[in-house]
Amino acid sequence: MTGINVLAEFDFKPELWAFPFTYLPEGLWTSVLVGVTCGVLGCFVVLRRMALIGDALSHAILPGVVIAFLLTNNTGIMGLLFGALLAGLTTAVLINVVSHGSRTKEDSAIGIVFTAFFALGLILISNLPRGTHFDLKCFVFGIPEAVSRDDLVLMVIIAVVVIGIIATLYHPMKLISFDPVVATAMGLPVMAFHYLLMGMISATVVAGLKTTGVILVVAMVITPASAAYQLTNRFWQMLVLAGFFGGLSAMLGMILAFTINAPSGPSMVLVATLIFALSMLFSPTHGYVFDKLRKRRIRRHIEGEDILKAVHRIQHSGEEATRQRISDRAGLTLKRLGSLLKELARQKLIQGQDNVTSLTDSGHRRAVELVRAHRLWESYLVDEANLDPENIHLHAEQLEHAHDLADEVDRTLGHPRHDPHGSEIPESGSR
Amino acid sequence: MQNVQSTNPDVSGEKAKIAIHLRDVTVSYREKPVLRSISMNVPKGQIVGVVGPNGAGKSTLLKTMLGLIEPDAGEIRYHDQPILESRHLLGYVPQTEAVDWDFPVTVLDVVMMGHYGRLGWFRRPGKRHREEAMQALETVGMTPYSKRHIRQLSGGQQQRIFLARALCQKAEILFLDEPFGGVDAATESAIFILMDDLAAKGHTLLVVNHDLSVLDRYNQLLLLNQRVVAYGSPSLTATEQNLRKTYGGRLSLLDQAEFALKQEL
Repeated sequence: MTGINVLAEFDFKPELWAFPFTYLPEGLWTSVLVGVTCGVLGCFVVLRRMALIGDALSHAILPGVVIAFLLTNNTGIMGLLFGALLAGLTTAVLINVVSHGSRTKEDSAIGIVFTAFFALGLILISNLPRGTHFDLKCFVFGIPEAVSRDDLVLMVIIAVVVIGIIATLYHPMKLISFDPVVATAMGLPVMAFHYLLMGMISATVVAGLKTTGVILVVAMVITPASAAYQLTNRFWQMLVLAGFFGGLSAMLGMILAFTINAPSGPSMVLVATLIFALSMLFSPTHGYVFDKLRKRRIRRHIEGEDILKAVHRIQHSGEEATRQRISDRAGLTLKRLGSLLKELARQKLIQGQDNVTSLTDSGHRRAVELVRAHRLWESYLVDEANLDPENIHLHAEQLEHAHDLADEVDRTLGHPRHDPHGSEIPESGSR
Repeated sequence: MQNVQSTNPDVSGEKAKIAIHLRDVTVSYREKPVLRSISMNVPKGQIVGVVGPNGAGKSTLLKTMLGLIEPDAGEIRYHDQPILESRHLLGYVPQTEAVDWDFPVTVLDVVMMGHYGRLGWFRRPGKRHREEAMQALETVGMTPYSKRHIRQLSGGQQQRIFLARALCQKAEILFLDEPFGGVDAATESAIFILMDDLAAKGHTLLVVNHDLSVLDRYNQLLLLNQRVVAYGSPSLTATEQNLRKTYGGRLSLLDQAEFALKQEL
């Protein structure tokens, strides 16, 4: 959004990308380190719902970077780092001042402060003395070819420091992220932690500016961490996974950028987004794939129980339970029936010679349990839910599979002997 | 802070049993008083119910008592120590709505957090801390759930693990913020039994609750509407008249007078 005008003004030239391959290692490794560090830090940003602050910091450090450049007159690393840290922390403090000192809500406060800082940065750049070389493009879009050995060294230091801090303060940081109220009540310095986090993000982002650019670097903070969030219920696993996804996005993004001759920052972001999309599909708790598998398992379970009941009924009426008869009763195709029968035989619920199936002892118990549950639920639907006895069968067909609840239904109804159709309800555990 | 030790000799035996002491605690939010002159003494091992309508200042009182809000005036002491020296004594069980149940932590992780205040920034929890956490889970009857993610718990179980965290913290004074929101009657009664149990072990409990159905289950009752309407045993305080005073007529004459004065300025 903020980048559009800059984009027009600074005219991005993809042909710049035909640069000597020898520049790659610094750019690549710096990007990977940025990815890993952003990923790990991103977990705190995502869990504390501060995504907007991540975006704000990456934009707001621009004036800090420019002022550092004006003072030192080069893109020297330490200067830029301190400029960025100062601007980042000032932003965090100002956001706090605005949101607590007025009725302005925090999201608006963030918007006001970071756009102001970014605007200030742009004006400072446009007023740079003639002849000075300041590559804004580099900071807006990220150009890994501009990454020097010094940048890489700096990023190694930042990564080691950030990950070292998180490893050392892992436990208190987890508590503060999870439950800041209790952390404050326990006397932990919650605000100090907040500013420490802001400082670490600013430092990482300034290093990430050259690889990903100011506009997209926030994706490296939020997206890998969000992907990790989908996949695990353990905090440390989330940190490790997010770091891994961040590094992987950077690595694959760079490779993609070279193969299709595209800018590297956007390539990294798209790879990260792809990883996130996959994590949504494969999340063990809410993912599409596992959801399908779970539903399939439940359906097979229900169909298996239907077969047990069908065999029980057929045997009860004195006939032989042939495949055709079971198939008719349970409403299953012969093909599907075959696979389900095999599974039931494996569970030792049925036994069969040739075409005729019979229930084992445990299969028989299960079938009676189902019949009992079915009749109890029918009674429940009529007595408690006031449904018409004519219309309850189909409901009960589904409810009977919740046979764990049958005893409770039985208790609630006061141990009825017969169902609404007059059939006897078997005793619990009877044969 | 330093003269705490020197004041101790003056304390009589009777006063030493006071777990919570509030004297004239007044809190304002943007110059608008939210709590006026709250005073109460809670003996050790009692369960205090704090009852009042929305906006009565219940959560402000809780935050102030936890040391999250600085009162404008008045004094808060726990076991005759000022808040700053007794932070480790205070355990907080948050409202279920205030907790991020998607946060990637297990039941045991949450209980372990009780140690972090004592451990500070740099020390790491060890085996002993783990055992203490498991013991706390045992006390609240949640041992089988230690490895579960917190999302996979029922309302009553959610309360229990935060109680376990407070116990793990070795908190003497437990603050429960609306513990009965969204739990059924059976769970509510189970939580009360657990609270009785903890009180018998010498814990002092302060329970914020807007539900009026269980008032007689508390040892002491604080009827709150910006000021103390009544404080004492439920049989004496939970009168219809007091409850009407607490819940009816939000704007008292004093408030109206203050409002009028402000307008004239």
